[in-house]
Amino acid sequence: MNEARFMVLLGAYGADLSRWPVAERDNAGAFLEVAPHRIKDVWESERGFDHLLALERDMPVSIALETQVLAAAPGRRAASRGLPVFSLRAAPRWATGGALAASLALGFAVGYAGEPKHDVASDYAHMLSLSNGGAGSIYLTAVGNDED
Amino acid sequence: MRDPDEELVQRVGAGDKRAAAELVRRHLPRMVGLARRMLGDAAEAEDVGQEVFLRVWKHAPSWKQGKAKFETWMHRVAMNLCLDRLRRSGRNGGEIAPDTVDGHASATRALDDRQRRERVRDALQELPERQRAALVLCYYQDRSNTDAAEILGISVEALESLLSRARRTLKTALAAERADLLSGLETG
Repeated sequence: MNEARFMVLLGAYGADLSRWPVAERDNAGAFLEVAPHRIKDVWESERGFDHLLALERDMPVSIALETQVLAAAPGRRAASRGLPVFSLRAAPRWATGGALAASLALGFAVGYAGEPKHDVASDYAHMLSLSNGGAGSIYLTAVGNDED
Repeated sequence: MRDPDEELVQRVGAGDKRAAAELVRRHLPRMVGLARRMLGDAAEAEDVGQEVFLRVWKHAPSWKQGKAKFETWMHRVAMNLCLDRLRRSGRNGGEIAPDTVDGHASATRALDDRQRRERVRDALQELPERQRAALVLCYYQDRSNTDAAEILGISVEALESLLSRARRTLKTALAAERADLLSGLETG
Protein backbone atom coordinates (compact mmCIF):
# COMPACT_ATOMS: atom_id res chain seq x y z
CA MET A 1 0.00 0.00 0.00
CA ASN A 2 1.39 3.35 -0.97
CA GLU A 3 -0.01 6.84 -0.58
CA ALA A 4 -1.41 7.03 -4.09
CA ARG A 5 -3.33 3.75 -3.75
CA PHE A 6 -4.53 4.68 -0.27
CA MET A 7 -5.92 7.97 -1.54
CA VAL A 8 -7.65 6.28 -4.49
CA LEU A 9 -9.39 3.81 -2.18
CA LEU A 10 -10.21 6.53 0.36
CA GLY A 11 -11.80 8.63 -2.36
CA ALA A 12 -13.89 5.70 -3.58
CA TYR A 13 -14.94 3.82 -0.45
CA GLY A 14 -14.70 6.46 2.26
CA ALA A 15 -13.00 6.26 5.64
CA ASP A 16 -14.56 3.04 6.93
CA LEU A 17 -11.99 0.38 6.09
CA SER A 18 -14.63 -2.36 6.37
CA ARG A 19 -16.01 -1.09 3.05
CA TRP A 20 -12.63 -1.38 1.35
CA PRO A 21 -11.62 -4.37 -0.80
CA VAL A 22 -10.94 -7.29 1.52
CA ALA A 23 -7.49 -7.91 0.12
CA GLU A 24 -6.34 -4.36 0.89
CA ARG A 25 -7.87 -3.67 4.30
CA ASP A 26 -5.00 -4.90 6.47
CA ASN A 27 -2.39 -3.07 4.45
CA ALA A 28 -4.50 0.07 4.45
CA GLY A 29 -4.93 -0.09 8.23
CA ALA A 30 -1.21 -0.54 8.75
CA PHE A 31 -0.50 2.31 6.36
CA LEU A 32 -2.90 4.63 8.16
CA GLU A 33 -1.38 3.93 11.57
CA VAL A 34 2.00 5.29 10.56
CA ALA A 35 0.77 7.79 7.97
CA PRO A 36 1.75 11.47 8.24
CA HIS A 37 -0.76 13.95 9.67
CA ARG A 38 -1.78 15.33 6.29
CA ILE A 39 -2.98 11.85 5.28
CA LYS A 40 -4.75 11.36 8.60
CA ASP A 41 -6.41 14.76 8.19
CA VAL A 42 -7.80 13.72 4.81
CA TRP A 43 -9.00 10.44 6.29
CA GLU A 44 -10.72 12.33 9.14
CA SER A 45 -12.39 14.62 6.64
CA GLU A 46 -13.72 11.61 4.72
CA ARG A 47 -14.96 10.15 7.99
CA GLY A 48 -16.97 13.30 8.61
CA PHE A 49 -18.44 13.02 5.15
CA ASP A 50 -19.39 9.41 5.86
CA HIS A 51 -21.29 10.64 8.94
CA LEU A 52 -23.22 13.06 6.77
CA LEU A 53 -24.13 10.35 4.24
CA ALA A 54 -25.19 8.05 7.07
CA LEU A 55 -28.00 10.46 8.01
CA GLU A 56 -29.87 9.06 5.02
CA ARG A 57 -30.64 5.72 6.57
CA ASP A 58 -33.07 2.87 5.96
CA MET A 59 -36.61 3.22 7.23
CA PRO A 60 -38.77 0.32 8.41
CA VAL A 61 -41.32 -0.97 5.92
CA SER A 62 -45.01 -0.93 6.77
CA ILE A 63 -46.88 -3.96 8.04
CA ALA A 64 -49.30 -3.47 5.14
CA LEU A 65 -46.49 -3.86 2.62
CA GLU A 66 -45.11 -6.95 4.36
CA THR A 67 -48.59 -8.46 4.40
CA GLN A 68 -49.14 -7.77 0.71
CA VAL A 69 -45.78 -9.26 -0.21
CA LEU A 70 -46.36 -12.36 1.92
CA ALA A 71 -49.85 -12.89 0.52
CA ALA A 72 -48.31 -13.68 -2.85
CA ALA A 73 -45.83 -16.22 -1.45
CA PRO A 74 -46.27 -19.76 -2.73
CA GLY A 75 -48.22 -22.14 -0.51
CA ARG A 76 -47.10 -25.64 0.35
CA ARG A 77 -49.42 -27.49 -2.01
CA ALA A 78 -48.87 -25.20 -4.97
CA ALA A 79 -45.11 -25.25 -4.57
CA SER A 80 -44.58 -28.92 -3.79
CA ARG A 81 -46.89 -30.23 -6.50
CA GLY A 82 -45.67 -27.81 -9.10
CA LEU A 83 -49.10 -26.60 -10.16
CA PRO A 84 -49.02 -24.87 -13.52
CA VAL A 85 -49.32 -21.12 -13.44
CA PHE A 86 -52.19 -19.77 -15.50
CA SER A 87 -54.06 -16.55 -15.75
CA LEU A 88 -57.76 -16.39 -14.97
CA ARG A 89 -57.91 -13.27 -17.10
CA ALA A 90 -56.83 -15.22 -20.17
CA ALA A 91 -59.10 -18.20 -19.59
CA PRO A 92 -62.22 -18.40 -21.75
CA ARG A 93 -65.55 -18.55 -19.93
CA TRP A 94 -66.27 -22.09 -21.00
CA ALA A 95 -62.96 -23.18 -19.51
CA THR A 96 -63.66 -21.44 -16.24
CA GLY A 97 -67.14 -22.97 -16.12
CA GLY A 98 -65.79 -26.38 -17.03
CA ALA A 99 -63.16 -26.19 -14.33
CA LEU A 100 -65.79 -25.19 -11.82
CA ALA A 101 -68.06 -28.06 -12.83
CA ALA A 102 -65.18 -30.51 -12.70
CA SER A 103 -64.13 -29.34 -9.26
CA LEU A 104 -67.73 -29.64 -8.01
CA ALA A 105 -67.97 -33.15 -9.38
CA LEU A 106 -64.65 -34.04 -7.80
CA GLY A 107 -65.81 -32.56 -4.52
CA PHE A 108 -68.93 -34.73 -4.51
CA ALA A 109 -66.91 -37.77 -5.45
CA VAL A 110 -64.35 -37.31 -2.73
CA GLY A 111 -66.83 -36.22 -0.12
CA TYR A 112 -65.92 -34.19 2.88
CA ALA A 113 -63.10 -36.36 4.11
CA GLY A 114 -59.80 -34.72 4.80
CA GLU A 115 -58.75 -31.36 6.05
CA PRO A 116 -59.22 -28.47 3.61
CA LYS A 117 -55.87 -27.60 2.16
CA HIS A 118 -54.43 -24.59 0.46
CA ASP A 119 -56.98 -22.76 -1.65
CA VAL A 120 -55.27 -22.00 -4.93
CA ALA A 121 -58.29 -20.15 -6.29
CA SER A 122 -58.21 -17.70 -3.39
CA ASP A 123 -54.55 -17.06 -4.12
CA TYR A 124 -55.38 -16.14 -7.69
CA ALA A 125 -58.27 -14.03 -6.49
CA HIS A 126 -55.93 -12.24 -4.16
CA MET A 127 -53.41 -11.65 -6.92
CA LEU A 128 -56.17 -10.18 -9.05
CA SER A 129 -57.34 -8.00 -6.20
CA LEU A 130 -53.82 -6.62 -5.94
CA SER A 131 -54.10 -5.43 -9.50
CA ASN A 132 -56.61 -2.84 -8.34
CA GLY A 133 -54.16 -1.44 -5.82
CA GLY A 134 -51.22 -0.84 -8.11
CA ALA A 135 -49.30 -3.99 -7.36
CA GLY A 136 -51.04 -5.84 -10.17
CA SER A 137 -49.28 -3.70 -12.68
CA ILE A 138 -46.10 -5.02 -11.16
CA TYR A 139 -47.26 -8.59 -11.62
CA LEU A 140 -48.15 -8.01 -15.22
CA THR A 141 -45.29 -5.74 -16.21
CA ALA A 142 -42.65 -7.32 -18.38
CA VAL A 143 -39.38 -5.73 -17.49
CA GLY A 144 -37.07 -7.79 -19.59
CA ASN A 145 -34.48 -8.48 -16.91
CA ASP A 146 -36.01 -11.62 -15.52
CA GLU A 147 -32.85 -13.60 -15.98
CA ASP A 148 -31.77 -16.74 -14.12
CA MET B 1 -18.72 -19.73 0.94
CA ARG B 2 -22.20 -20.98 1.82
CA ASP B 3 -25.09 -18.72 0.95
CA PRO B 4 -26.78 -17.70 4.25
CA ASP B 5 -30.15 -17.60 2.47
CA GLU B 6 -29.88 -20.94 0.70
CA GLU B 7 -31.77 -23.07 3.22
CA LEU B 8 -34.43 -20.42 3.67
CA VAL B 9 -34.98 -20.14 -0.07
CA GLN B 10 -35.32 -23.91 -0.37
CA ARG B 11 -37.99 -23.88 2.32
CA VAL B 12 -39.77 -21.03 0.55
CA GLY B 13 -39.64 -23.07 -2.64
CA ALA B 14 -41.29 -25.95 -0.80
CA GLY B 15 -44.13 -23.66 0.22
CA ASP B 16 -43.08 -22.88 3.81
CA LYS B 17 -44.86 -19.64 4.68
CA ARG B 18 -42.78 -19.11 7.83
CA ALA B 19 -39.65 -19.21 5.74
CA ALA B 20 -41.25 -16.74 3.36
CA ALA B 21 -42.00 -14.42 6.27
CA GLU B 22 -38.41 -14.66 7.48
CA LEU B 23 -37.07 -13.92 4.00
CA VAL B 24 -39.34 -10.88 3.77
CA ARG B 25 -38.26 -9.65 7.21
CA ARG B 26 -34.63 -10.13 6.28
CA HIS B 27 -34.60 -8.51 2.86
CA LEU B 28 -37.68 -6.41 2.11
CA PRO B 29 -36.47 -3.27 3.95
CA ARG B 30 -33.19 -3.32 2.06
CA MET B 31 -34.87 -3.80 -1.30
CA VAL B 32 -37.26 -0.93 -0.58
CA GLY B 33 -34.35 1.19 0.68
CA LEU B 34 -32.40 0.57 -2.50
CA ALA B 35 -35.39 1.47 -4.65
CA ARG B 36 -36.19 4.58 -2.61
CA ARG B 37 -32.68 5.91 -3.03
CA MET B 38 -32.59 5.07 -6.70
CA LEU B 39 -36.07 6.32 -7.61
CA GLY B 40 -36.58 9.07 -5.06
CA ASP B 41 -40.18 8.02 -4.53
CA ALA B 42 -41.32 6.07 -1.48
CA ALA B 43 -44.50 4.64 -3.03
CA GLU B 44 -42.73 3.53 -6.18
CA ALA B 45 -40.01 1.98 -4.03
CA GLU B 46 -42.65 -0.17 -2.33
CA ASP B 47 -43.88 -1.28 -5.75
CA VAL B 48 -40.35 -2.35 -6.62
CA GLY B 49 -40.07 -4.19 -3.31
CA GLN B 50 -43.22 -6.15 -4.16
CA GLU B 51 -42.03 -6.86 -7.66
CA VAL B 52 -38.71 -8.19 -6.42
CA PHE B 53 -40.50 -10.61 -4.11
CA LEU B 54 -42.90 -11.75 -6.81
CA ARG B 55 -39.78 -12.84 -8.68
CA VAL B 56 -38.40 -14.43 -5.54
CA TRP B 57 -41.58 -16.46 -5.10
CA LYS B 58 -41.45 -17.46 -8.74
CA HIS B 59 -37.81 -18.53 -8.72
CA ALA B 60 -37.55 -20.03 -5.23
CA PRO B 61 -38.78 -23.54 -6.17
CA SER B 62 -36.04 -23.89 -8.77
CA TRP B 63 -33.32 -21.82 -7.06
CA LYS B 64 -29.84 -23.31 -7.10
CA GLN B 65 -26.86 -21.41 -5.85
CA GLY B 66 -24.57 -20.60 -8.69
CA LYS B 67 -21.92 -17.97 -8.79
CA ALA B 68 -24.04 -15.33 -7.13
CA LYS B 69 -25.54 -15.44 -3.65
CA PHE B 70 -29.29 -15.11 -3.39
CA GLU B 71 -29.03 -11.65 -1.86
CA THR B 72 -26.79 -10.51 -4.70
CA TRP B 73 -29.33 -11.82 -7.19
CA MET B 74 -32.08 -9.92 -5.37
CA HIS B 75 -30.04 -6.74 -5.50
CA ARG B 76 -29.48 -7.21 -9.21
CA VAL B 77 -33.20 -7.71 -9.82
CA ALA B 78 -34.06 -4.65 -7.70
CA MET B 79 -31.42 -2.48 -9.36
CA ASN B 80 -32.50 -3.54 -12.86
CA LEU B 81 -36.12 -2.79 -12.03
CA CYS B 82 -35.12 0.67 -10.79
CA LEU B 83 -32.93 1.44 -13.79
CA ASP B 84 -35.68 0.25 -16.10
CA ARG B 85 -38.23 2.52 -14.42
CA LEU B 86 -35.87 5.47 -14.56
CA ARG B 87 -35.17 4.93 -18.24
CA ARG B 88 -38.80 4.37 -19.17
CA SER B 89 -39.84 7.55 -17.44
CA GLY B 90 -36.89 9.53 -18.75
CA ARG B 91 -36.04 10.92 -15.36
CA ASN B 92 -33.04 10.85 -13.12
CA GLY B 93 -34.82 10.79 -9.78
CA GLY B 94 -37.59 12.53 -7.89
CA GLU B 95 -38.80 13.92 -4.64
CA ILE B 96 -39.03 11.98 -1.42
CA ALA B 97 -41.51 12.82 1.29
CA PRO B 98 -39.71 13.67 4.51
CA ASP B 99 -40.03 11.16 7.33
CA THR B 100 -40.38 11.78 11.02
CA VAL B 101 -37.50 12.93 13.20
CA ASP B 102 -35.87 10.92 15.96
CA GLY B 103 -37.75 11.04 19.23
CA HIS B 104 -34.68 11.00 21.41
CA ALA B 105 -32.94 13.97 19.86
CA SER B 106 -33.51 17.49 20.97
CA ALA B 107 -35.95 19.47 18.84
CA THR B 108 -33.31 21.80 17.49
CA ARG B 109 -30.79 19.11 16.77
CA ALA B 110 -33.48 16.85 15.26
CA LEU B 111 -34.53 19.63 12.95
CA ASP B 112 -30.94 20.11 11.88
CA ASP B 113 -30.47 16.41 11.24
CA ARG B 114 -33.73 16.25 9.35
CA GLN B 115 -32.74 19.14 7.14
CA ARG B 116 -29.36 17.59 6.54
CA ARG B 117 -30.94 14.24 5.75
CA GLU B 118 -33.25 15.84 3.22
CA ARG B 119 -30.32 17.59 1.63
CA VAL B 120 -28.43 14.30 1.40
CA ARG B 121 -31.48 12.72 -0.26
CA ASP B 122 -31.80 15.58 -2.71
CA ALA B 123 -28.12 15.44 -3.52
CA LEU B 124 -28.32 11.68 -4.08
CA GLN B 125 -31.16 12.21 -6.55
CA GLU B 126 -29.10 14.75 -8.44
CA LEU B 127 -26.27 12.28 -9.02
CA PRO B 128 -26.01 10.68 -12.45
CA GLU B 129 -27.78 7.32 -12.45
CA ARG B 130 -24.71 5.07 -12.56
CA GLN B 131 -22.86 7.02 -9.87
CA ARG B 132 -25.92 6.84 -7.67
CA ALA B 133 -26.27 3.11 -8.29
CA ALA B 134 -22.64 2.47 -7.33
CA LEU B 135 -22.88 4.56 -4.17
CA VAL B 136 -26.20 3.05 -3.10
CA LEU B 137 -24.90 -0.50 -3.50
CA CYS B 138 -21.55 0.01 -1.78
CA TYR B 139 -22.49 2.52 0.87
CA TYR B 140 -26.12 1.99 1.76
CA GLN B 141 -26.61 -1.66 0.80
CA ASP B 142 -23.22 -2.75 2.19
CA ARG B 143 -22.38 -4.74 -0.92
CA SER B 144 -18.73 -5.66 -1.41
CA ASN B 145 -16.94 -4.10 -4.36
CA THR B 146 -17.04 -7.37 -6.31
CA ASP B 147 -20.75 -7.86 -5.57
CA ALA B 148 -21.60 -4.30 -6.60
CA ALA B 149 -19.54 -4.58 -9.78
CA GLU B 150 -21.30 -7.83 -10.63
CA ILE B 151 -24.74 -6.36 -9.99
CA LEU B 152 -23.97 -3.42 -12.26
CA GLY B 153 -22.20 -5.56 -14.85
CA ILE B 154 -18.98 -3.54 -14.71
CA SER B 155 -15.38 -4.08 -13.59
CA VAL B 156 -14.21 -3.27 -10.07
CA GLU B 157 -12.02 -0.51 -11.52
CA ALA B 158 -15.03 1.05 -13.23
CA LEU B 159 -16.99 0.77 -9.98
CA GLU B 160 -14.23 2.57 -8.05
CA SER B 161 -14.22 5.31 -10.65
CA LEU B 162 -18.00 5.75 -10.31
CA LEU B 163 -17.72 5.79 -6.51
CA SER B 164 -14.98 8.42 -6.57
CA ARG B 165 -16.94 10.65 -8.90
CA ALA B 166 -20.10 10.17 -6.84
CA ARG B 167 -18.37 11.18 -3.61
CA ARG B 168 -16.71 14.16 -5.26
CA THR B 169 -20.01 15.37 -6.69
CA LEU B 170 -21.76 14.90 -3.35
CA LYS B 171 -19.01 16.74 -1.46
CA THR B 172 -19.53 19.73 -3.71
CA ALA B 173 -23.32 19.57 -3.44
CA LEU B 174 -23.20 19.12 0.34
CA ALA B 175 -20.34 21.47 1.14
CA ALA B 176 -22.44 23.66 3.44
CA GLU B 177 -23.99 20.72 5.29
CA ARG B 178 -20.60 19.07 5.61
CA ALA B 179 -19.02 22.15 7.17
CA ASP B 180 -22.01 22.57 9.45
CA LEU B 181 -21.94 18.96 10.58
CA LEU B 182 -18.19 18.99 11.17
CA SER B 183 -18.43 22.15 13.27
CA GLY B 184 -21.26 20.52 15.22
CA LEU B 185 -19.16 17.44 15.89
CA GLU B 186 -16.20 19.55 17.00
CA THR B 187 -18.27 21.60 19.43
CA GLY B 188 -19.90 18.45 20.81
